[in-house]
This record gives sequence, C-alpha cells and structure tokens, in this order.
Amino acid sequence: MARTRTTKKLAQRIDLNYFKRPAPLKRARFWLSVALPLLAVLWISSRGFSGDHRVYSSGRLSQAHAVLERECATCHVQQAGAFSAKADDSACLACHDGPIHHDVSPIGGIHLACVECHTEHRGQINIASASNQACAACHADLTGEPRPPHYSAHIRSMADGHPEFAALRGYGIYYNGDPSGIRLNHAIHMKPIRRGPNGPNVQLQCGNCHHARGAAPDLMYSDPSYRSAVVSYKDPTRDFTIYSNSLKPFRPVSGRELMAPVKFADACAGCHSLAFDERFDIGVPHDEPKVVRAFLLKKFQEYIAGHPAELRVPRDPSRDLTGKPDAPAFRMLTSAQWVEERVSDAEELLWRKTCSMQCHALSMRIKDSDRPPLVIPWLRTAADNRPVLRPLPEMVIARAVQQWMPHAKFDHDAHRGFSCVSCHAKALTSTEASDILLPGIAICQTCHAPGPNHADSRCSECHTYHDWSKRKEVTPKFTLPALRTGGR
Amino acid sequence: MRIDNTHRVWAWASLVILALSIVVYVTYASSAAQGPRGGSAIGLFFGIVGFAFMLFAALLGARKRVPTWRLGRAQAWMRGHLWLGLLALPMILFHGGFRFGGTLTRALLWLLIITVFSGILGAALQHYIPRTMTAEVPLETIYAEISHVRALLREEAERAVEALCGSLGVPRTSEGELQRAGGFTALRPIAAAAAAPLRTSAAVSAGASAAVAAVPEIVVLPEEASTALRRFYLGEMRLFLEHPKARGQRLADSATAGSAFAGLRTLLPAAASAVMADLEDICDEARQLTRQERLHRWLHAWLLVHVPLSLALILLGAVHAFMALRY
Repeated sequence: MARTRTTKKLAQRIDLNYFKRPAPLKRARFWLSVALPLLAVLWISSRGFSGDHRVYSSGRLSQAHAVLERECATCHVQQAGAFSAKADDSACLACHDGPIHHDVSPIGGIHLACVECHTEHRGQINIASASNQACAACHADLTGEPRPPHYSAHIRSMADGHPEFAALRGYGIYYNGDPSGIRLNHAIHMKPIRRGPNGPNVQLQCGNCHHARGAAPDLMYSDPSYRSAVVSYKDPTRDFTIYSNSLKPFRPVSGRELMAPVKFADACAGCHSLAFDERFDIGVPHDEPKVVRAFLLKKFQEYIAGHPAELRVPRDPSRDLTGKPDAPAFRMLTSAQWVEERVSDAEELLWRKTCSMQCHALSMRIKDSDRPPLVIPWLRTAADNRPVLRPLPEMVIARAVQQWMPHAKFDHDAHRGFSCVSCHAKALTSTEASDILLPGIAICQTCHAPGPNHADSRCSECHTYHDWSKRKEVTPKFTLPALRTGGR
Repeated sequence: MRIDNTHRVWAWASLVILALSIVVYVTYASSAAQGPRGGSAIGLFFGIVGFAFMLFAALLGARKRVPTWRLGRAQAWMRGHLWLGLLALPMILFHGGFRFGGTLTRALLWLLIITVFSGILGAALQHYIPRTMTAEVPLETIYAEISHVRALLREEAERAVEALCGSLGVPRTSEGELQRAGGFTALRPIAAAAAAPLRTSAAVSAGASAAVAAVPEIVVLPEEASTALRRFYLGEMRLFLEHPKARGQRLADSATAGSAFAGLRTLLPAAASAVMADLEDICDEARQLTRQERLHRWLHAWLLVHVPLSLALILLGAVHAFMALRY
C-alpha cells in the first residue's frame, strides 16, 4: 500500500524562502550575462584603441589589395571635420589613374564610380573582374541611349543576349568572309595528302602548320633553305580595328595567346616546291614578283653562260600546228633571247599555276607604268622588236587575321588541352578560302556557362573596359617596410 | 511556453514578412551591379529591421524584470520575442547578402546564428518538456528544494526501517540541519513535521489523524529478516537516496528496483509488507526527483548560452552599426 500524501504535508517539506537563495543555474546565467558582453566590449575596444581597424572591415580585401589590409586609411580617406571616411574614386585613382569605362555613364549621365563595378571587401577575388550584374546594369538595356549602332542593346550575360561574333555575322570587313587574301583548302589538307610531287601520302595535323606566336613552329614540313632566306616583305600580320570608337584591341602578354601567321618556309615549303625549270633542282624565292624575276634572270644567265650549246634550240614537233608550215629544225638564239624565253616560261608557270592557283590571289593587270611605250610600226627599231618580259603581276600578300575579335581577348594557350578541331570543326570541311573558321559563340558557351562544372562566363573573362594606353603615371607613395609594419 | 494555436497569428505574420523579404531580396540581389551589399539602401533596410527585431527580442528580459510595466501581456511579449527573434536571422542574412564579411561581422553573424538556434532549441524544449515533466514526474517539487526533500526522504526511510529492525546505528541528520537558517522558515517546525513519516497506510486505514499517524509503528522482525532488510537499506537504499546519480545502482531503475524489492519481500514476514511498500514508494519518489532535476536542467540550461550571447550580440551590433556609418 502506497504512502499517502496531503498537500499540507508536501508543502511543509518546502522552505518558503527558497527563492531567496541563489539557484546555481540562475547564478551562472547572471555571471555569464555580465562576463560575455564585457568580454565582447573589451575585445572590440582593444582592437579599436590599438588603431587596427581591420576588425570593422566588412570583408577581406581582393588579391591585388591584400597588402593594404592594415591600411584602411589608404582608401578610406577622412575629410577634415567629417565623421565619414568612405572610399571614393580619388583613392582608386591615386594608384590607377586610367580612363573610366565611359566618359559619361549611359545611365542618365551619372558619373560611374569605380566601386560601381569594382567593389572591395568581397574576399580574395580578382577585383579587376567586374561581375556580370555590373555590366548588365547598363548593357541589359541600352534602348534609347545614345550608342553606336553595332552595339547590341540587350546583353545581360554571355548566355543571355550576347550576339554572335562579328566575324561570323559578316559584319564590316568580314562581309565577304576571310579577308586574309590567302587561298587554302583546309578540307584537302586535313585528309591524307601527297607530300610534294613525288612524296608519300601524309596525314597533316593542325600543329604542323599552326602554332602560337610564342611557341616554336613544328618544322616537319619546312625547308631549311627557305627558312634561312632573307625576304623583302615584312612579316604578314594584320590587326583589324573595326570600330573607330572602340577600346584598343587586347595586346597579348605571354605571346601564346594568339596564333602565329603560317609561314611558307615553316609549313608549306616541305611540300609545295617553287620549282620553275627542269634544269634546276631549287625553287624560286618565296618573295615578291620582282625579286622572283631577278632570281630567274640571274639563274638563267648563269646557266646559259655555262651551257652555250643550248642556244641552238631544236624544234619541238609536239608544238607544230596543222596547216602551218613547219618551223626550221633549229633556232639559233642569242643569250639574251634564250634567257628571256626561259624566264617567260618560268614566270608563266609560277604566276599562272604555282602561286596563283594554289595560294595567292594575283592580278595580271598591267599597270600603266609597266606598259611598253607605243611605237608606230614604221618607226620601230630592232630594239623595239626585241621580245620583252611581260609586266609583273600584282600579288596580294597574304595577311592573316591575327585577332578575329578586336573587342575581346582570347587565349589559345589557356585552351591548349583541347584539340583544335573540337572548336574549329569547320576546318575539316572547309573548301573555300573565304570560309571563316572561327568557332561560334555557341562553342564557347559549351564550357563557359553559368553554374558549377562550367568555366567562368563573366564578361570580364573576354572583355576589357579601360583603355590603359591612356593611363596616367602616378607617384608611388608606399614603402615596403611601412606596409609590413602597418605604418605609412 | 507552449507553441499552440495562440501563435497562429504571429506565425502567419512572420511567414508573410519572410516571404515579402525574400521577394525583395531576390529582386534586389539579381539586379544589384555588385551583388547584394549591406551598405546599399535595401541592405541597410534589412539591417535596420533585423537589428530592431533583435532589440525587441532583447527587451523581453527587461520586461520580465519589471513585470509591473503596463506594456502588453507577458505572453504577447514572449510570442513576439520568439517570432521576431527568429526573423532577425534571415533579415541579417539578407542584409549581409549571405556573406560573413570581416572579423566583427563574422563574429556578429555567428553570435546571431548561435543565439537564434539556441532559442529554437529552447522553444522546442519548453514546448515538450513540461508535458514530459507532468507525465513522468507527478511528484514534482520545487527544483531548488530537491536536495532537501531527498534528505527528508532518507530520514523517512530510516525511521521506517528502524521501526522494523531497531536502531540502524547511522548518524541522524540533526533537526537543526534540516531547518533553514533565518527568516520565517526557522520558526516553523518543518523538521519535526518532515521527520515524521507521511501518513502510513496502517494509520490511514485505522482512521487516525495525521498527528496520530506520526507515531511510528514498532514491529521488531526476527534476526534473520531484520539482517536482510538492514543490509538492503544500508547497502543499497541509503546509498541511492544519498547519491541517486551514482552509476550501477539497481534502485535507479524502476524495473530493477521492483525486482530488488520483490526479492526482499520473500525474506520478510507479511507484517513488514506495509513498510516495504513505503520504502519502494520512497525510492520511486527519489527517482522522480532525479528525473525532475535532469528535465529541469534541459529546460533551463540553454539559457546559459542564449541570454549572454544575445546581450553580447546587441552590444557588438550597436558597435557595428556605428562603425558602418563611418566606413
């Protein structure tokens, strides 16, 4: 049987003054409530009074400014008598005195402060890389703003509103395709192809012809004699600035960003012989027509001097024309005539077939200055009747486009892990020299897209905003020891 | 405080505020040129609202200290503390754009997170534990008096055993020790009243009054039975009543305690059964007191984290607000 309890009995067990005694939990709570806030105040005060104001920082500085972590006053300049010490443009321009992105912000003419795009205290980020939102603040809607017509009005990000590359849109100089002036059938070169007239079949790789500027060329299909030859023309490069009001094109830094122009001596001479006559086992120089002609004249003159018997030229029966009386069995030529004929034949071969058909656009138009003077027939002398060499053709020197996107920077070296044709897939099928083999933006977006497992797709990955060619020099104001100790 | 239907209005209001805040934040964050920042107009708005919520929540402590203030019902303050304090966290996260920032802001955010989550834990504990306490501890007493009541239980048990076995020869707690020093309590004969057993079953069945029942019934057991009971009491029960939390005690668990008492009953004559029932009841009460202690600690220990940290949070938050105006 259980014990019985009455309320009175239970109450009598209790000390009515129990609440006057300190309960351990309450006592601990009280002292903790005093100690912890006190500790917090002591901590913040000690940091504040020590002059180290980093504790108030809203975040770590960017990588570039990390050395200024202790130097709050470098950017937070306090005006005399003012409480506020907010960073403004003058602090930025003290070290980076360059032109702003636009002289006047498109947003209602408001001055575009540095921090609008480059915000500090966001951790160890690359502060030079503005966020997409910063760009989209203006470029998402340029409707109604005064802007050049070639700018798209609604670009929010690379994946949203970015137009196709100008070259692929056929804009400006790209209207007729690749303006480089070289003739090349990529499709043929990407299949097994015979190496020279008598060579074996080979399978060319992209790298046999193309290489980054800073990288050594692959010399598998080069010709040492052409490589060592001095040429009269300049290295054929071409940078296109398609918009007069655009920023200066990106300049390579490492030298491996852009591809080098393909050189005949390095990539073509191994297969494409510039042979001009069966009497010689060398080819003509890969140079301008006048240089080639001088070479030919010299070679044939030297040859005929050593082989005078060849001035007696036998008739070639295969060239007899039906119904015409046969030419004499032999012709006796002077050395000059023989040289003229051989040079003409060689030039015919070179201008009409070797160069023009395969690589270069040649214009056979005769300049007025090159035309022989008109002489009335009955006034002609023997000298006027002498055969003369035809005028030299005008050759369009190949000037490969080095930078297809003048508004953007692209680094081939950063993409070296990928096969060339994975981006330049059109190279496998392109048969026309005018084909632009630049990959479209969709190819870029395969990797450069928002979200995880993708490469960065911020605008700043490709675009630059300041024309640093117009930067002003600044006066240095830091010293290494001062920065190390937090002083000035 | 139980979270019941009376919280419905507060809960819905909080949900609406949170939903509106999310809409504002998402719109702002997706359009902000440099992402969400605490220093922007909307960022500052969230910061001010969040800090205001924190201040309101902190004022509950002041409101409790001065209950005579006519500033609304205490329950309304408690509900506001709970829901607005909870909303302070998302507001401050929106304020900082979900970034922890620098040293001070990082410390503040961690303080807020710990404070809010300790508050959530506390709210959950205060919702469930009182019900558990009611169900599992019907003999609940005042927490601060538990050790005293336990001593009284031991005295009561010793008197009951001595009634069967004669003197146990253990030092008795003096009546003076049982009395509280000073004040009204010292004048009350609580020790005498407590020293007497609660009304025994025999006395109650005889219709005796409590005063009569206070006289112990003396039943001297045979030597063999007396030894078994004496050994049980001195070897187990007394230790349990003095140190109820010591490990490995049979009496600490109701099932094993029941077995122990059942085994002992087989050794004792029927005349001792009433005393045995009382001893078992005393052990049960002691177990309930132990359970109450444990539940009480759960119920209040979280405040050791919640209150001091929230005070530190308010202080440092004020410093942050002041310095943010400068930088």
